Amino acid sequence: MADPIELLVEQVVSAHRELDASGRMKGHPAWHDLPVSQREHAFAETVRSRELEAALDPEGLSTTGRAVLARVRAASAPDGHRES
Amino acid sequence: MLNLDVHLPRISAGDPGAFVPWVAGAEPVVRSSLRRFAPHVDTEAVLQEALLRVWQVAPRFRPDGQPNALLRFALRAAHHLALSEARRLRPDLLPDEALLRAADAVSVEVREAPDPLLRAAIHRCQERLPAKPAQALLARLEGAGRPDTELARALGVRLNTFLQNFTRARRLLARCLEQAGVVLAEVL
Repeated sequence: MADPIELLVEQVVSAHRELDASGRMKGHPAWHDLPVSQREHAFAETVRSRELEAALDPEGLSTTGRAVLARVRAASAPDGHRES
Repeated sequence: MLNLDVHLPRISAGDPGAFVPWVAGAEPVVRSSLRRFAPHVDTEAVLQEALLRVWQVAPRFRPDGQPNALLRFALRAAHHLALSEARRLRPDLLPDEALLRAADAVSVEVREAPDPLLRAAIHRCQERLPAKPAQALLARLEGAGRPDTELARALGVRLNTFLQNFTRARRLLARCLEQAGVVLAEVL
């Protein structure tokens, strides 16, 4: 049986974030469900994960960097705009 | 000290390729600076929003002549966003002054690219992962920014199974690296 808190932390560690109706980045729903006492733990796990990801990436980008660049490239394309 | 402003002329000209090394260098600095905001806001969302704003503002940005001017702008943007979001979510609980002081005390020190020996050690540990955790890790790496539900569906597993496999992958990787004498970022 999986620990529900760990499942929330794992989702928060993901670089996936959606945009709200105004085109602004929204907090992950799992972050809002996470107890305040566990949010610093999720932050720490994210820092470690991003360091690993960047070390494994040929361009030194973490999944956060890749997600941001994907949005930048989509917006830079003809008819581009910020997409969720 | 690395000065990421060497990429600024091409970033200002709208070259996403020049934004790659800038983001690679800036992301850990901005993320680390948001540590004290972690209980109050989703720092991942704040960080990504701040990096996107840097890209949008870059064509009009005027550096002040000091190193890493664009990075310092990113730090200010990230802290402004974090504070604004924290106020929106819980205005009653926010220690404004403490957070503002934390933002002012940020060190702008850009690290060199990852050591090739560190990369090799991580690869060796990654290769030793059992099949399912290895698949989950690879899916997150290759599908950067895609929703977990989508990644799980592509692997033919339920979301909870995908997340559990990812947890196993991270723990096994951390243990393997520790045994190899690799110390990852010290946080908190």
